[in-house]
Amino acid sequence: MIRFALAGNPNCGKTTLFNSLTGSTAHVGNWPGVTVDKREGVYKKCAEPIQVIDLPGIYSLSPYTPEEVIARNYVLDEKPDCVINIVDATNLERNLYLSTQIMEIDVPMVIALNMMDAVEKQGDKIDAKALENKLGVPVVAISALKGAGLAELMEAAYKACKAGRSGKTVLENGALAHLITDVKIALSGQGVDNPLFHAVKLAEEDELEVKAHKDTVKMVEEFKETFKDDTFGDDFEALIADARYKYISENFSSVVTKKNKEKFASTKSDKADKVLTHKIWGIPIFLVVLFAIFHLTFSEDFLYLGKIFGFSSLEELGVDTEAFGGQLLACFYDGAVFSPGVIINNLWNNIIVEYAFGWLVNIIAESGMSVWAIGLLNDGIIEGLKAVLSFLPPILVLFLFFSILEDSGYMARIAFILDRMFRKFGLSGRAFLPMIMGFGCSVPAMINTRTLADDKERAATIRVIPFFSCGAKLPILTAVAGAIVAYFGVGNADLITYGMYLLGIVSAILAVLFMRNTTLKGETPPFIMELPAYHAPQFKNLMIHLWDKAKHFLKKAFTIIVASTIVIWVLMHFDFTWHFLEDEAVDKSILAQISMLFQPIFTPLGFGSQLNANGWVFVLAAVSGLIAKENVIATFGVLAAILGGVIEANAEGVGEVARMIDATGIGIPGLIAFIAFNMTTIPCFAAVGTAKAELMNNKSYHGTLIFWIVSSFIVAAAVYTIGSWWWTAFIWAVAIAITAYLVVLYNKRANAKLNDHE
Amino acid sequence: MKPVEIIIIIAAAAIVVGVIVAAIIRKKKGISSCDCGCGCAHCKGCGIKKPEEEKK
Repeated sequence: MIRFALAGNPNCGKTTLFNSLTGSTAHVGNWPGVTVDKREGVYKKCAEPIQVIDLPGIYSLSPYTPEEVIARNYVLDEKPDCVINIVDATNLERNLYLSTQIMEIDVPMVIALNMMDAVEKQGDKIDAKALENKLGVPVVAISALKGAGLAELMEAAYKACKAGRSGKTVLENGALAHLITDVKIALSGQGVDNPLFHAVKLAEEDELEVKAHKDTVKMVEEFKETFKDDTFGDDFEALIADARYKYISENFSSVVTKKNKEKFASTKSDKADKVLTHKIWGIPIFLVVLFAIFHLTFSEDFLYLGKIFGFSSLEELGVDTEAFGGQLLACFYDGAVFSPGVIINNLWNNIIVEYAFGWLVNIIAESGMSVWAIGLLNDGIIEGLKAVLSFLPPILVLFLFFSILEDSGYMARIAFILDRMFRKFGLSGRAFLPMIMGFGCSVPAMINTRTLADDKERAATIRVIPFFSCGAKLPILTAVAGAIVAYFGVGNADLITYGMYLLGIVSAILAVLFMRNTTLKGETPPFIMELPAYHAPQFKNLMIHLWDKAKHFLKKAFTIIVASTIVIWVLMHFDFTWHFLEDEAVDKSILAQISMLFQPIFTPLGFGSQLNANGWVFVLAAVSGLIAKENVIATFGVLAAILGGVIEANAEGVGEVARMIDATGIGIPGLIAFIAFNMTTIPCFAAVGTAKAELMNNKSYHGTLIFWIVSSFIVAAAVYTIGSWWWTAFIWAVAIAITAYLVVLYNKRANAKLNDHE
Repeated sequence: MKPVEIIIIIAAAAIVVGVIVAAIIRKKKGISSCDCGCGCAHCKGCGIKKPEEEKK
């Protein structure tokens, strides 16, 4: 099958075009660096099927980050039949820089002038025909978002791939023309493919080219001895870059007719940025936005109207909450108006899940099957599933809000405003983007660290990504926070959840501060990032990804979670001699006995030996979370059914945890410490596998595992001890001060050693 | 043991074994086992390769 590669700057519309051409639903985010690996799809509307490859965005073919390496290597080594260079028509000059480099490769090429709808909206005009004549490659105006011009683009690319093409450079009349020609001839003689491209790169003394052509680079070094530019001296890379931009500016400014002739006209995005990226108010605004998201998702007192106006509960109003009408009303209001997230959650759990599973549980209970079969199905699989499925609404609602933040372009601004703060801790603002992705899932977040050029910065970022609680950990936070409010009658669930997310962020910052001053010490790389224009999130995109998220959550629930609950139920009902145990004898089961062995380890964290005879349940739940974090609540679901209890709570998941509290005697500090432990400990197996793949070497990987274990113990122990005995905060403060002093001492000695060597 | 109970045991074992086998097969193929459904670029079974492998 013939292959077309989509190449272009970050955020120029490659993935949008890819989705439109192939019918895929690849994630499109309004910030640079979303795609960090190539994706493949098939376009079937041409004379023959065409494989379309979406490459990560690159600013030039001199790669700076790992994902730029992927894009460059694909174009050079995989030899696609045509490269479709997508150019952001609203920013032509900057985008054409890459085009002039791709033109040097012996590959058929078509330029797709994207975002023409935005150009027309601004009242500007671009003469695509004139651009085509000047560049010597086909140019097709398109709007990937609106689906305009796509068929014409693919037809042009198909014709180009059949015609073939040799590389051409815009530097043929420049100061280094002779050098490039000579090097090209030398490389052609050696049988090197794309000799023109490699010749230009060698003239730039590109790192990869110098390594690959050690003999030929001597020609460049000899030339340097006889040539010095007045402005750039012997910095040929800067000279060539300048020559490219001069060429673009001289030849292509005429193809664009701007309505607003003012050079630096202020756009709507610029005006919004004056507020949203303000150097003082930027971060507070971000914290308020984050709080608003949690409030809209978790609050059981929307805008705190219930507290302010003292609304009456449904019982006080004489509403029969047993009747269907009363149950429906209770989903929206009960002494307070619930937030949208809670309303959806209540409708899902109290109406849909309760009726669907309730009916199934009754049928199984009355089926006449053996006790063990009824137990496995009802107490094992169904209870475990119910506990996890109950969290589908808040996961989707939170995901929706984060998607809106991403799509609108605000996420990129957050990275920008946090850069000043992050720099003090040894990270650039660019590291923030993978961390924010960690709120969805740690796996793509870790893969996204390929956008970071510095290996040590990548390793530090990978290590703290699990601290940003992913969607799978949300059930743990929500269930435990809700149980604290329901059982102990203290606090607000949304405030507790928000507080735990902030704890994760603060823990991440402290951990990075420590790592970047000790084992992963290094220079903080510069942070340059294009801020994309704000735009209203695409409803269709949002709904497609919401549906994807729901589909995968349900798939995970009905596969991994069901399998886990089966294994947990079986190991909870058999002892080491494989005798079946009744519920009352569960503490003699295989899982209980193993969990009891490890229970003392968790005593400093508040959920160890200090709990009563059933305290091992928290150990078991935490360990089961290694398979998938949703398993923690699924485990509680299975255990709650076995251990029983007298506490009923309104929401699923919350009831299970409340029963665990009743069965074990755990207190609030222990519960918060349990959340903190699960937030910072080894993430799920998938994330661990990804960390191993993305880290530099095995030493770094093993160090990361140890880091996760140690940090989770420290954070959870701090939370538990301070929560139980407030004065221990001073002990922790002294410990942190001593650690900081030792780090400073370590750095002084390291610097002294370095100076001695020099 | 009733026939339906035998079916339950077989189905439960099949689910557990199936999930484990699927995970092993995905790992051997180098496919992301995340299945997190975040809608990112990696959710449709992409390959996780070290960037160093791409540099070769």
